[in-house]
Amino acid sequence: MLRQRLVAALAPRRVAHAHCDVPCGVYDPAPAQIAARTVSRMVELLNGITGMELEDRNKMVRCTAVKEQHAELVKREVQVIWSDYFKPEHLEKYPELHDLSWRVLKQASKCKQSVDAEATAELERLVGRFAEIFWASKGAPAHLMTPSAEGAPKNVISWEVRAS
Amino acid sequence: MGRIGASSTPVAPPRSFASGVRVGLVLGGLALAAAPGIRRAGRSWRNRIAVEGGSMSPALLDGEWLLVDPDAFRDRGPREGELVLVADPRRPDRLLVKRVAAIAADGLLDLRGDAPEASTDSRDFGPVPPSQVLGRPWARYWPPRRIGRVR
Repeated sequence: MLRQRLVAALAPRRVAHAHCDVPCGVYDPAPAQIAARTVSRMVELLNGITGMELEDRNKMVRCTAVKEQHAELVKREVQVIWSDYFKPEHLEKYPELHDLSWRVLKQASKCKQSVDAEATAELERLVGRFAEIFWASKGAPAHLMTPSAEGAPKNVISWEVRAS
Repeated sequence: MGRIGASSTPVAPPRSFASGVRVGLVLGGLALAAAPGIRRAGRSWRNRIAVEGGSMSPALLDGEWLLVDPDAFRDRGPREGELVLVADPRRPDRLLVKRVAAIAADGLLDLRGDAPEASTDSRDFGPVPPSQVLGRPWARYWPPRRIGRVR
């Protein structure tokens, strides 16, 4: 009671803003990483198709469609973080940022055009590096941004990709 | 050691007129010296603000409570490196706290957050005329651990 009244008496009258207009913390490269992983997985599934039965062709079309969508998702997610989140100060600190973002977008297109496991692995690697820079720019602890042995960043909780 | 009044020796010698004047002068001088500070504290108390956001970190942290002197720039303009409270040029009903990074030849202030990667400032809304400056944050009164001057 007394405490509340004391706080009320001491409390400031106005708020002075000291932040960015965009609420901080709403950006996250995880969706891009998951999408890149999905592209890889679709290529794996596509390469596993041997027959030309109707079922096989159905699966082929579905996997190709998902691959296309998720490659596009990679481009979209990375592009938003690149253009909206990163500021000139970040670029100064991470000079590779522009080139890296450009290469992610190009690589995603390459993955659409091909059914190439090497191309998708490269896409995952590039997106992983992009995520590393993102987390480093936020001062996140290193364990969140160190890729595991498989090249899968640990900040992505699950790598289960449903192909159904 | 007897009862009070039992001893004939006085506890202290009677003060001379001159020493009384001297004490008065010292007290008066102290009051005069402290008066501007007290007045500033008084007018600042009416202009206490809460910081929201981390763009001024580490100088000012999210949630800290500050005193702002509204008369700090009555006789002079803001200087480079000083904290300023300004009306947001894009929304004048909003207050911003930023630092003067530079002063242009035409007197316009280039404002920046101390954490530029997490700050919306003159890079977004352009330089700000000194008339938009509402005061100078100069003291922090909450949290207790960080009570003191801010600069």
